[in-house]
Amino acid sequence: MATTTIPGQVLGKLSTHLPGAGTHVNETDIYASLAGNVITTTATTKSGKPTVSVSNTTTTHNAGLPQVSSIVLGRVLRVQQRQLIASILTVDPPPSLITPYASNTDDEVQFQAILRREDVRAFEKDKVNMNEMFRVGDIVKASVISLGDERSYYISTAGNEFGVIIARSEVGNPMVPASWKEMKDTVTGKGETRKVAKPT
Amino acid sequence: MNDRRRINGPASGTQPVVFENKSKALGRPQRSRKPNELRKIFLQTGLVPAAAGSAYLELETPSSTRSFIPTTSTIKLSCAIQGPKPLPRNSSFSPNLQLSASIKFAPFATRQRHGYLRDNVERDLGSHLENALNGVIIPDRYPKSALDVTVMVLEGEEDCLWNEEHGQERGISGVGLMNVLAESINVAVAALIDAKVDCLDLLSSGVAARAADSETDLLDPCPSEHEALACACVVGYLPARNEVVEVWSKMAAGKGREQVAEDLVDAAIKAARGSHKILTEVIKESLKHSIKTKHSANTKTTNDVEMKT
Repeated sequence: MATTTIPGQVLGKLSTHLPGAGTHVNETDIYASLAGNVITTTATTKSGKPTVSVSNTTTTHNAGLPQVSSIVLGRVLRVQQRQLIASILTVDPPPSLITPYASNTDDEVQFQAILRREDVRAFEKDKVNMNEMFRVGDIVKASVISLGDERSYYISTAGNEFGVIIARSEVGNPMVPASWKEMKDTVTGKGETRKVAKPT
Repeated sequence: MNDRRRINGPASGTQPVVFENKSKALGRPQRSRKPNELRKIFLQTGLVPAAAGSAYLELETPSSTRSFIPTTSTIKLSCAIQGPKPLPRNSSFSPNLQLSASIKFAPFATRQRHGYLRDNVERDLGSHLENALNGVIIPDRYPKSALDVTVMVLEGEEDCLWNEEHGQERGISGVGLMNVLAESINVAVAALIDAKVDCLDLLSSGVAARAADSETDLLDPCPSEHEALACACVVGYLPARNEVVEVWSKMAAGKGREQVAEDLVDAAIKAARGSHKILTEVIKESLKHSIKTKHSANTKTTNDVEMKT
C-alpha cells in the first residue's frame, strides 16, 4: 500500500531527492502539491537522485494539460487546404480508454489543436492533400509539437503510429484500416483514403 | 344574504390570529461554546458529477429547542470547479492559469432575498475569494487555461436575529459575511484538491472577533449570539508555510487598535488551523474512497480478448 499525501506535506529534501510531477519546491524542501499516492522512482543514472512525485491518476477525468511531445487524441472539426482544426479529447491515453473517449461529444470544454499540412507526414510533404487524409469527425492520434498560440496547440501526425484511428465512411458505416493510406467500410467494403495510424 | 353563489363569511365576524412573538421573549441565544471552540463542520468533496471538482460545506445548526423557527442562521455552501479549460475566445495569450472565483447567494439564502444578478456584496466577497485562492494555486503549471471557481451560498449567516428589524445599533456589521467568506475559502480549497489542481498548501480560513466590552478573542463567532461585536477579522492561512494570504478586518477606530488587530489576526489564524485539521481529514477520507472505488471499477471491467484470426 502506497503512502498518501496532501498538499503542503514535506516529501523530502532537495539534497536527497528530485522533485517530480505533483510536487513543488520551497527553499530546500520538496512539498506535495496534489493529494494522491507518493511514488519514488529510483535514479536513472548511478550518481543521480531518486525522483519523488505524487500520482494524480486516481480518476481518469482530468489527466492534465497537453505538453510538448505528449500524445493526444483529437476529433477533426474542420478540414482546410493548408491545415485542419481538431479538438483534443484526451492526453496520453491508456489504450483501453481510446474507445470511450472517442464517444466524448463535448467540444466546448476541449482545447483546440491545429494540424498543419506540412506536419501530416514526414515524407512527400508537398504532395499532401488534406482532403485525402482526413474527414470531419475522424478521431486522430497525434503528438503535440508546440503549445502554439493563445488559441490552439500544434500537433503532428508524422510517424507510422500516428494518424486516423477511428473513422466512418461516407455512408456512415465504421471503417477498418486496410493500408497506411486507406480504410475500408466494414459493410460495403468500399475504400476511402486516410492517413491511417498503424494499428497496435 | 340571499346570494347563494357567494360564499359568505360568518355573520358575527372573526378575530385575526395573533401569534405570540416567542423568540423575542426567549431572548438572544447564548454562545455555549468555549471562546476557542469552532462550530462543527460538515465537509464532503465530489458531489457535483459534472464538475472537475466540487465540495459541500455545512456548519452545525444551533439547537433551538424552545422555538419552532430557528432563531439563528447557519452556513451551507456548495462549490464547483470547472477546468482547467481553454481560455475564452476574446482573451489574449497567458502563460499562467487564469483563475476566476465568484460567490453567489441563492435567492433564499438569507431573509432578505437576493436577486439573480450579482450585487456589490457578492462581487466584493468574490474578489476576496479570488485573491485568497490566487495565493495557493501554482498558476504556471497550467499555461493557456482558465479555471472557474463558483461558490453557491445556499444559506448565509446574518448579523441579526430574524425578528430584529435592522442589525445591531452598536458595534460592527458584516460579521456574517466574514463567516461566509471564511467558509467559502475552505470549501473552495477542498474542491480545488478534488479537481486535482496543483496547490502550494491546504489553504484554510478562520474568523475571530471580540464582543463589545470584552477582551476575549472569540473564534468562529456567531453574530446573532452577541448583542454587539467590536471588531472581527478573517484570514486565509497556509499552515505549512506559516503564511497569511488574505486578511479582512473590521473594527472601530480607537486607542490601542494596532495591538487589538494583531491579537485578532493571531486568533483568526488559530481558527484557520482548526479548519485545516478538518480539511486534512476530509481530503484523506475522499482519497481513500477514490482509491477504493478505482479498485472496484478495475475488477469490474472486462479485459479485451484478442480475436483469433
